Amino acid sequence: MNKKVYQQINETLYEEVLDNGLTVYLLPKADFHKTYGLFSTNYGSIDNHFGYHPDDLKQVPDGIAHFLEHKLFEKEDGDVFQKFGQQGASANAFTSFTKTSYLFSATDQIQKNLMTLLDFVQAPYFTEETVEKEKGIIGQEIQMYDDDPNWQQFFGIIKNLYPKHPLHIDIAGTVTSIADITAEDLYLCYNTFYHPSNMVLFIVGNIDPEETMTWIKENQKDKDFPEAKAIIRQFPAETVADIMPESSMQMPVTRAKGVLGIKGDLDKLPTDGRELLRFKNALNLLFQMLFGNTSANYLRLYDDSIIDDTFGFEVNLDRGFYFADFSGDSETPQDMLAEIEQILLGIGEDPEINQANLDLLKKKMLGKYFQSLNSLEFIANQFTQSLFGDTTLFDLPEVIQSITLADVKAAGLSFVDPKAFSRFYMYPTETK
Amino acid sequence: MTIELKKGVRLTVLPTKKYKTIRIFVRFTAPLNVAQTAKRTLLTSMLETTSLAYPTQTAFSSKLAELYGASFGMNVNKRGNLHQINAAMSLVNGKYVADPTLFSEAAAFLEQVLFHPNTQGDAFDEKNFTIEKNNLISYMKSVAEDKQALASLALQELYFANDAHQKYPSFGRPEDLIDVTAAELYQTYQAMLTEDQIDIFVIGDVEEAVIQTIFAQLPFTDRADKETDVFYQQPVENVIREKIVREPITQAKLNLAYQTGVYYDQEDRIALMVFNGLFGGFPHSKLFMNVREKASLAYYASSAIDTFRGYLSVQTGIDGKNRDQAFQLIEAQLQSLQQGEVTAEELAQTKAMLKNQYLLSLDNPQAMIETAYLNQWVPGSEMTEDTFMQRLEHVSIADVKRLAQQVHLQAMFFLDKEATHE
Repeated sequence: MNKKVYQQINETLYEEVLDNGLTVYLLPKADFHKTYGLFSTNYGSIDNHFGYHPDDLKQVPDGIAHFLEHKLFEKEDGDVFQKFGQQGASANAFTSFTKTSYLFSATDQIQKNLMTLLDFVQAPYFTEETVEKEKGIIGQEIQMYDDDPNWQQFFGIIKNLYPKHPLHIDIAGTVTSIADITAEDLYLCYNTFYHPSNMVLFIVGNIDPEETMTWIKENQKDKDFPEAKAIIRQFPAETVADIMPESSMQMPVTRAKGVLGIKGDLDKLPTDGRELLRFKNALNLLFQMLFGNTSANYLRLYDDSIIDDTFGFEVNLDRGFYFADFSGDSETPQDMLAEIEQILLGIGEDPEINQANLDLLKKKMLGKYFQSLNSLEFIANQFTQSLFGDTTLFDLPEVIQSITLADVKAAGLSFVDPKAFSRFYMYPTETK
Repeated sequence: MTIELKKGVRLTVLPTKKYKTIRIFVRFTAPLNVAQTAKRTLLTSMLETTSLAYPTQTAFSSKLAELYGASFGMNVNKRGNLHQINAAMSLVNGKYVADPTLFSEAAAFLEQVLFHPNTQGDAFDEKNFTIEKNNLISYMKSVAEDKQALASLALQELYFANDAHQKYPSFGRPEDLIDVTAAELYQTYQAMLTEDQIDIFVIGDVEEAVIQTIFAQLPFTDRADKETDVFYQQPVENVIREKIVREPITQAKLNLAYQTGVYYDQEDRIALMVFNGLFGGFPHSKLFMNVREKASLAYYASSAIDTFRGYLSVQTGIDGKNRDQAFQLIEAQLQSLQQGEVTAEELAQTKAMLKNQYLLSLDNPQAMIETAYLNQWVPGSEMTEDTFMQRLEHVSIADVKRLAQQVHLQAMFFLDKEATHE
């Protein structure tokens, strides 16, 4: 077990890769009552075409990763939620584009709850009958998202940017796509992606690291797994020419919404983990300088009522995709997006990009970072993303400090390409 | 430790080494008054965006960025007969960024925001006022876009139909804002600053004496005690109020409101928590197990209690055509509790979950603040961890049965999709 002490942030992290390939992180937090365990597989909604050999790849129905997440909780002898409940814990799970995660939080019976987490995720039980029943519940969940304007707005821009890539498919799939899911499909996905070598376990809270690691090893050594094999994930080829430049929809909203999306070129990203993390944060700092609530641009657009306080932006960088979106409610969404585009295209000479602003925003970023470390959930979730090689969340203060004005400009010039822009609008439904 | 800085102005310091941050929370409490709620909400929008020293949003945000990205925000809430304006500030503990004066700088910022708003004469700055007012009106209207929020607010309006103050949202209604002027809002501000009861909380790795010295310097004034009964009560009615609204949606919502008659200062509060946990508070509850899981009738089905208004609500998301079936199934779950149909295992599990929830709240800075606030506002409600655990342990199936029997259905709200031509 490797032990790493992070002086500046006053944390000690333990890490080990077990014989079966499972990566385990332990982070003791003695003052907390809570212990939070997160068991995560590197498998999400976009992984719908895969296999071990290039000439033998399988396509599975959309929404299956999320469906599998739901179904893992159901066992022959009942529902795992109940078992956690009996042990005084609360459990949950979530599926993203690239990850499926299972978690518990508890203040008591940590060993029991941890074993339950490992055992239920590592013992699938799918039958045709239980799979059929789940389709009703998930159908309701999908319908709920249909009524959520913010969700529709998010997917509106993704559909424009990634018309072929499965990123554009709702994480839960559609009522039609999940109808095709069978128990056999679920086992295929499970056996491929739930191998320990594709998974990370992160335990944070009131734990003794030595003792906790012993429990985990005892649990894992009794289970048989086949040899780890490299998984091939297949995605449709896509170029900037595929991007749909504009689309819109109507929903019963009060103010119209607009989103500018920019698709990033994966081939231009740094390959080194630490450099990638620096790049992502440099891009964030750039957008904060240009559009953040400390910028002159933000003030002008807000005072002219072109944007309101729903305005925001995000850099999304994950396995296999990379894009930014700038969005908000506006009475004049087309003016809003035109303004944003103009600012983005003037990065070279924008006076807001200066050393004083960078220093201020680095200070802000550092402080926000320390605030986020109060959340055990945040720490665990960030660690299981494992996008940046050996560089982790706990290296971030030093990474932030190292970013220069030149880094920020270079990141912007590498990313912003007008050919990769797309606009999405949501207009209020016309009243009858 | 709690001390009175001025009459009606209390400071509570909660030292702990658990967090890398310090949280400052200032709460202004007044009697709930429907004529004031919308204005008090607009006031929070004004105060949290600019001040005299930081007259633009960017100047304001830059100051926060300089304080190592301190978070600052204001909002409103109601609790029983009380209306609260909250100002919350979270900042990194200066020792992590080698800045020992960070806390006193944050307190100085807070003083600017609360005591020196962006005014000209006896009115708020007109330009900012107009922007914030329009944005707030638009926000109030947009709440209806969140269908779960819409359903729960509509249910509240139905249940509290006879009380002008209780039936509307804590943030007020757009129609109450249309005619408000920048000068009128300044009166609202003055009233908040000089008449509201003020509770200040600081939680983090801090020294009490240092905090006390810093806050004692703020120019708070004495104020009269307001005799407000925290608890809201209304008579049980024999007629159940019903309302149906149709909108272009795909998932229908069926929400029900019940009266419990149980309040925060009563011993039965703990038993009510157990009742609610069994009814719809947890994944093993009757609503979750029987309405969602067994019958696959709902995507979500849960219940919640409000022990300041003696109120219990049930919320479900269903297919509109299953409305009657869902209603009968919800009622059947309550009847089953009224007959005491609870296994020893279910009871133990509910208690274990409540125990877990209680201990988790001890890790949450805002939960610690809320408990400290209630200990002051509801004298005698303070409970040690041991007392809470003992009382929880003592709750029996007979208690649950007794409480279930005193729960009365009072209102039903149904949000359905618009009729289609087939």
